[in-house]
Amino acid sequence: MDRTDVGALVQSAADGDAGAWKALVEGLGPLVWSVVRAHGLSDADAHEVYQTAWFRFAQHLGRLREPEKAGSWLASTARHECLKVFRASRRWTPTDDPQVLDRVSEDRTPEESVLDSEEAAAQSERVRRLWQEFEALGERCRQLLRVLIASPQPSYQEVSAALGIAVGSIGPTRQRCLRRLRARLESRGAV
Amino acid sequence: MNERGTHDDGGFEESPLEEELRRAAAILDPVPAELSRLAVEAFALHDLDARLAELTFDSLIDGIPVRGESDPPRMLTFHAGEVSLDVEVSAQGLIGQVLPPQPARIEVLSGPGTARPLAADDLGRFTADVAPAGPFALRLRAGGEVVVTEWLRA
Repeated sequence: MDRTDVGALVQSAADGDAGAWKALVEGLGPLVWSVVRAHGLSDADAHEVYQTAWFRFAQHLGRLREPEKAGSWLASTARHECLKVFRASRRWTPTDDPQVLDRVSEDRTPEESVLDSEEAAAQSERVRRLWQEFEALGERCRQLLRVLIASPQPSYQEVSAALGIAVGSIGPTRQRCLRRLRARLESRGAV
Repeated sequence: MNERGTHDDGGFEESPLEEELRRAAAILDPVPAELSRLAVEAFALHDLDARLAELTFDSLIDGIPVRGESDPPRMLTFHAGEVSLDVEVSAQGLIGQVLPPQPARIEVLSGPGTARPLAADDLGRFTADVAPAGPFALRLRAGGEVVVTEWLRA
């Protein structure tokens, strides 16, 4: 989905077009998911926050002041729900629990199954190593990059809404974090 | 500070490493299929006939922590025009009150197509023995009007 279509899709969905809604879910779902993953919620919390963001978006469809900024609206809504999870201390789950982050092999997606085939073994290994190094980055870098690598790539406004950081700080931090990741990979001979 | 890599706000150029990371995320940490399905179904929650009651107070955000209470109830207030709804959610369940006091039919929603009626008295006071788990909203029918609260997570 092209981000320039978002405003028109929101308008169509508000007028009752289920196809437009589906296109929004496909185009912005990965962004919303990246926000909950960036905040390091447990799987259960992540699932609930993701749903809450979409349920609320459905309620507000026809009421958005700036429909073309629906991505930012969703990202910001997801972020606030993530912060509420942290506030409710009884639900607190540690963000850096390696058990939580090391969840790669549990539910195999079809793509992963493809990766498991022998021909793809080498590529699979590379992807896994890259992901491992990414997850070993400091929290700030991991957060920022996780949102930046949503598909399709989010705008800086959306990243700003997702993480509550200034648009102007995104570019420099992003460069620094990528340099760090590259250095980690190089030191392990993975590039 | 910005190098040539960033243009104004629509997007930015990618490094090959970032592009590779994007592919890795799509493979290793995609949106779970179940969640995509639920988000598509959430279109049913787009209800033009209902008035939206906005969350105006949430003790999780606006409240002052109470010393000595390790698991205080969550206090919520919603407003839709003249009607407001006070709700208290705890491990024991949910209690609430429609204001101004009036007879009302109240349901708890927990997703598209799920509505569970709550016991309410003539003054619009309502209770539920079970606390909502996960996303929920309340739907209120009073005086010929339907009001739905903003979705939130219990």
